[in-house]
Amino acid sequence: MQCNTIDYERMFHPKRIAILGVSLEGVGLGNGFLLALQAMGYEGEIFPVNPRGGTFAGLNILSKVEDIPGEIDFAIIAVAARMVPEALEACRKKGAAGAEIISSGFSEVGTSEGIALEQEIRDIASRGIRVIGPNCFGIYCPKSGLTFMPGPDLSRESGPVAFLSQSGGMASDFANTGKWMGLRFSKVVSLGNGADLRETDFLKYLGDDPETRVIAMYVEGIRDGDDFFRTAKSVAKKKPIVVYKGGLSKAGQRAVVSHTASMGGSRTVWPAILKQVNAVQVQDMQEMAQASLAFSVLPERVFQGVSVMGGGGALGIAACDAAESFGIEVPLFSSDLKARIEDCLPKPGSSGGNPVDVMNPFVSNKALKEVLRHAATDERIDLQIVISLLYHYKVLAILRCKSVAAVTPFSELADVVGDVAKETGKPIAVVLPNTRRGMGDMDVVEMLAQARQLLIERGIPVFDEIRDVFRAIAHVNSYYGKRGARDE
Amino acid sequence: MNKESATSIIQKALRKGRKALSEHESKQVLAAYQIPVTEEILVRKRSDVKKATSAVGYPLVMKGCSAEIAHKTEKGLIHVDVRSEKEALSAFDEIMSKMSGHDGDVLIYKMIKGRRELVMGLTRDEQFGPCVMFGLGGIFTEILRDVSFRRAPLEKRDALDMMNEIKGKGILDAVRGMDAADKDKLADMLIRVGQIGLEIEQVREIDLNPVILSGSNPIVVDALIVVA
Repeated sequence: MQCNTIDYERMFHPKRIAILGVSLEGVGLGNGFLLALQAMGYEGEIFPVNPRGGTFAGLNILSKVEDIPGEIDFAIIAVAARMVPEALEACRKKGAAGAEIISSGFSEVGTSEGIALEQEIRDIASRGIRVIGPNCFGIYCPKSGLTFMPGPDLSRESGPVAFLSQSGGMASDFANTGKWMGLRFSKVVSLGNGADLRETDFLKYLGDDPETRVIAMYVEGIRDGDDFFRTAKSVAKKKPIVVYKGGLSKAGQRAVVSHTASMGGSRTVWPAILKQVNAVQVQDMQEMAQASLAFSVLPERVFQGVSVMGGGGALGIAACDAAESFGIEVPLFSSDLKARIEDCLPKPGSSGGNPVDVMNPFVSNKALKEVLRHAATDERIDLQIVISLLYHYKVLAILRCKSVAAVTPFSELADVVGDVAKETGKPIAVVLPNTRRGMGDMDVVEMLAQARQLLIERGIPVFDEIRDVFRAIAHVNSYYGKRGARDE
Repeated sequence: MNKESATSIIQKALRKGRKALSEHESKQVLAAYQIPVTEEILVRKRSDVKKATSAVGYPLVMKGCSAEIAHKTEKGLIHVDVRSEKEALSAFDEIMSKMSGHDGDVLIYKMIKGRRELVMGLTRDEQFGPCVMFGLGGIFTEILRDVSFRRAPLEKRDALDMMNEIKGKGILDAVRGMDAADKDKLADMLIRVGQIGLEIEQVREIDLNPVILSGSNPIVVDALIVVA
C-alpha cells in the first residue's frame, strides 16, 4: 500500500472535516471532538453528521455524509463499531484522503465480530481512504488545529517534535507534558489498532517531513520487523528517533535448546535492534520528553565537556557523578580561569574550579552572567549547566513579607542565561530543582513554572533534576556520535 | 561459501528426524561458511584411535559426539589434554561406554591453547528474524550473561559494536601477556554466522561455545546447530 505525500498533507492539514457521530444530547466523542476543534481555533470547515440532524455548537448537523456540499479532506469517525465501515465508505466517496476512527470494538476486544469489522476497514482503506485507528485518539497538529478528543487546550505553536504512539493515553499525556516542558510539536498521532496506517508508515513520512526534526515513538508491537528496521535505519541517518518500547518485561517464552536463544527474546533483541539502527531508547515517558527536548533545542553535535554552576558543594559533586556515569566530562578550569571566576563571586565560600560553587542561592544574576562568560572561554566547554535553587527565595519572601514571585529574580535569570548562550554560542541548560512541593508551597511551584516558561521562550531547556539533564545530553551525544562515525 | 554442502548436511539430519546436528556436523556447516573450526577426526572403532591421534598430534581433546546428547561436560564425555596413546584408548573406552544406547562417535582434535573463551550464536526473533550473539564464553556465558546482539545481515560496523558493547570487552585487548584478539577475524565470523541464518531457513539456533582465542586467532571449539 502506497500513500503519497499529498494524502498525508490533506490528513494533517485538512481544510474540510466531517465529524461522524455528533449527537444532539450528551457529551459523546463526536461532540467532544467538535468542541475541541472549535476551542483550538481550527480555521477550516467542520461538517457534523448524525442521521437525526439538528444543530450543535452553532453548526447544522447533516443527516448523512452525502449531504456535505463538495469534497472533504478528512473525517473523524466516532460512531458505533458496526456502523464504521459504512461511514468510512461514505467518506471515501466524498473524496476524503483519510479518516481517524475513534470508535472502539474492533480487534482489540478479540471477538470475531470485532476482527471482521477491522478487516472491513482495511478493505475500504485499500480502495483509497487511508485510516488511522480504529480505537485511537486521532491526530494533534498544532499548525492545522487538529486535536485529540481530550485536547481542547493544547498549544497551537508548531515545532520540530513529532510523536507516534500506540497508546492514545500516552499521546495525550506526551502532548500535555510537552506543553509545559517546552516541546513544540509538528504532528502527534495516536495509532490505535493500526488497521491500515501503522508506525512504520508514519515513520517513513516523518523521515521526509520538513516540519519534523525529532521523532519520538511509543511502541508496543510492530507488524513487520524487517520494514521497521530498514525504515528506522534510514530515517535515523537524517533525524533522531527516540523510542520508548513498552512491554519488554514479558518476553515471549518458547522452548529453546541453545544458550543463545535463551538469552535472546524481545527484552534483549529490541535494545540491540534500536542500537543497530541508531535510535535512542528511553525507559519511560519523562525520559522520552526530556530527550526530545534536548534534541529539539540543542545544536546537532556531541557535547563532550560541560561546566556546572550551582549553589552548594553537594550539588556540584552530584553533577560530577552524574556526568561521569553518562560519559560527559566536567573539566577542571585552569588556575587562571578559576581565579577570574572567583573574582566575580562572594568570598569566602565560593569556589571557581569546575563545578563552580556559587556558595549561596542568592548570588546576583550579574555575577552569574560574568561567571558564565568566563567559563565559556574555556575551549573544552561545549555546554554550560546552571543549577538554580530558586525555591530558597521562599525564605526571603517570608522574611520580607512579600510574595515569592516578587522576591525571586527569575526573569533576570532567564535574560542572563538567554543572553550569554546567544553571545557565546555555547548552549546553556538550566536545572530548577524543587524541594518545596507541598500545599503550603504552591507559590513556589507557580513561580518555578513561570521561570521555566521564560527560559523556554529563550530557547533554554529546563530540567527538574541534575541527573535528567545529563541523561538527556548523553542521548544527544550517543546519537550524533554514532551518526558521525557512520558517515565517515 | 558452500551453501549446498551445508544444506545437504542439514537435510540429511532432518530426514532422520533429528532436531540438532552433531558437533562434527555443526562444524562442517561452519567450515562450509569459512568459519574457523578445530580440525578433527571422527572415530568409531577402537582400532582407528591410533591413526587418528598420530594425525592430530598431542596434546589432544576427545569428545563423545552424538546429535542426541547436548551438554557433554556434565555427562563426562569430554577428555582434555590427552597426552599418549594409552590415555587416548582409555578415554575412548570411557566415552563409548557412557554413550552406550546412543548413536555416537568419538571426536579427536588438537587441543587449542588459549585462556580466553568467547561465545557466538544465532537466534531467530519472531519480529526481526535471525539475530547474532557475541559475548563471554565458557562457564561465564550463563553466569555473567555478558552478551550483545545484532540483527543479520551484519555490517562490519555492527560486529565491531557488538564486541565493544559487552562489559568484558577488555578480554579482547592485549592483556596479561596475551595478544589482542584479531577483531577483523571475529567480525568476519559474526557476519558469517548471520549469513548462515539468512541463507538457511532450517537453521533455527546456533551456539558456538567456546570460541577460543588461540593467540590472537579465534577458533570454534564446540558447536551446536539446532535445525527444524
